[in-house]
Amino acid sequence: MSESLAVGRAQARPAGRAGDTAGVAALDARRKLQLALGVIWVLDGILQYQPSMFTQSFPDMLAGSAHGNPGVVAGPITWSASLIGHHVVVLNAVFATIQLALGLGIAWRPTLKLALAASIAWSLAVWWLGEGFGGILAGTARPVNGAPGPVILYAILAVLLWPADRDPGAPSVAGRATGHRPARAVWLVLWGSLAAFALLPSSRAPGAISDMLTDGADGAPVWLAWIDTHAAGALNHHGLAASIVLAVLLALVAVAVYLPAPAFRTAIVLAVVLAAALWLAQGMGELFTGMATDPESGPLLALLALAFWPAVTRKEA
Amino acid sequence: MGGPAWLTAIFAAASLAVAVYCAGRLVVARRGRRPTELDTDGAHVIMGVAMAGMLVSGLHTLPSAIWEVVFTAAAVWFGCRILQGRRGAQPSPWRSSHPLPHLVECAAMVFMFLILPASAAAGAATSGMSMTMTSTESTFSFLTLPLALYLFGYVVCLGDRVTLHARAPALATAPASAESGLRPGYGSGSPEPARPYLAPRCAVVCKMTMGITMGYMLILML
Repeated sequence: MSESLAVGRAQARPAGRAGDTAGVAALDARRKLQLALGVIWVLDGILQYQPSMFTQSFPDMLAGSAHGNPGVVAGPITWSASLIGHHVVVLNAVFATIQLALGLGIAWRPTLKLALAASIAWSLAVWWLGEGFGGILAGTARPVNGAPGPVILYAILAVLLWPADRDPGAPSVAGRATGHRPARAVWLVLWGSLAAFALLPSSRAPGAISDMLTDGADGAPVWLAWIDTHAAGALNHHGLAASIVLAVLLALVAVAVYLPAPAFRTAIVLAVVLAAALWLAQGMGELFTGMATDPESGPLLALLALAFWPAVTRKEA
Repeated sequence: MGGPAWLTAIFAAASLAVAVYCAGRLVVARRGRRPTELDTDGAHVIMGVAMAGMLVSGLHTLPSAIWEVVFTAAAVWFGCRILQGRRGAQPSPWRSSHPLPHLVECAAMVFMFLILPASAAAGAATSGMSMTMTSTESTFSFLTLPLALYLFGYVVCLGDRVTLHARAPALATAPASAESGLRPGYGSGSPEPARPYLAPRCAVVCKMTMGITMGYMLILML
């Protein structure tokens, strides 16, 4: 196989060299988003190689996601956490390598479909066994703590960015593979569910959001801790109002998918801003604590929002 | 660094392997007059050695201060290459056509060497490995994550460029890099028969390996 491998673009340039590409299709918007997804998978893989992941902290963290879930959901979580606890070094190394391979597989075009398909299967498994379905069944799902579970967003992105053109005329990248209507339904359900989660009792408790922000400050660098601490102070005892405002904004984003393109673009910008705010509230996925397995939902929500960016139509132009 | 010993050893071995391979590329390119990115390969030689020393104490070679000077000089070189490119300088097959990632790599090395000394003593005492480091309490901690993400993005973009079923291109050595000071056939300018670029796929794999390893080191600093 190696003989048939080549590095592209060199043929297109007389002074080409390694790192250039030949015979490679141009990077269209979908491919750029696929590569962004690949970057996040690579980040996940490397995060999984962190020293703390090779200790009992990792299976303990997984076992914690069983809390509050029905027995039929919690049982397999507890079982898998126990299994991982007995072989934590080997299994964590395998998990990390799988995620790294998923990222590199998405990057390498010949394995793109395989990697995306594998990432869907992997994400669904981790969504159950690693995140307890994001706390949806336990009633603890909150947008601020990453509901509906960051890892399910990987699966959704893999489906939306699948390299197929079922609806080539779709106004956005997200609609090309699945069709415009299913893609819009996914958007509505995702952002609508986030709005609903923002109104659950666990979200609207007086200290719910401020406590989460305070937690996010733990182990964070000074500048991030400063942001989270001050935001927590401002929102302290205003959990209900903050939850309602957040829910309204998320609901607006959800329904905007059925508005004309200019209005939807505004909603996408709002979605990206909300995703960034949620990410900061999540302590940037606690990346600085040494215990993060992924960057949390913020970057994925932003990436997903960008996948829905409507192309400029002739009429608009 | 703070990872499991066997894992850091694997990453150290990978970076050393890249260093040795790139040194070999420099020799083969000179003997066979096969184009390769001399500056990139040269940077990877020193980078591989330095990274291995950061990962495993037994592979420690030079003091941090010396490495800082070396990588600062390398960063200046790649910075100049970027400026030359913007001024429309003619590209040479013997130099990196995309110096920005290598500038970032060199800057990341300087960054890590500057961060390391504060935590090196504690890490060496507790882990037995070369260094345990964290940039969380550093003033410049906000740089760690963007640097790592840039490198992962670079790795993924490189992966995107590797294609199947395309023949490795045969390249004519570039004309007239008069300022290079190299003899004919070594990037200096006289017309040469077309010569294939030296192992382009291996060059890309080296770049990806260095990117992943350096990204791993930066993530350990988070």
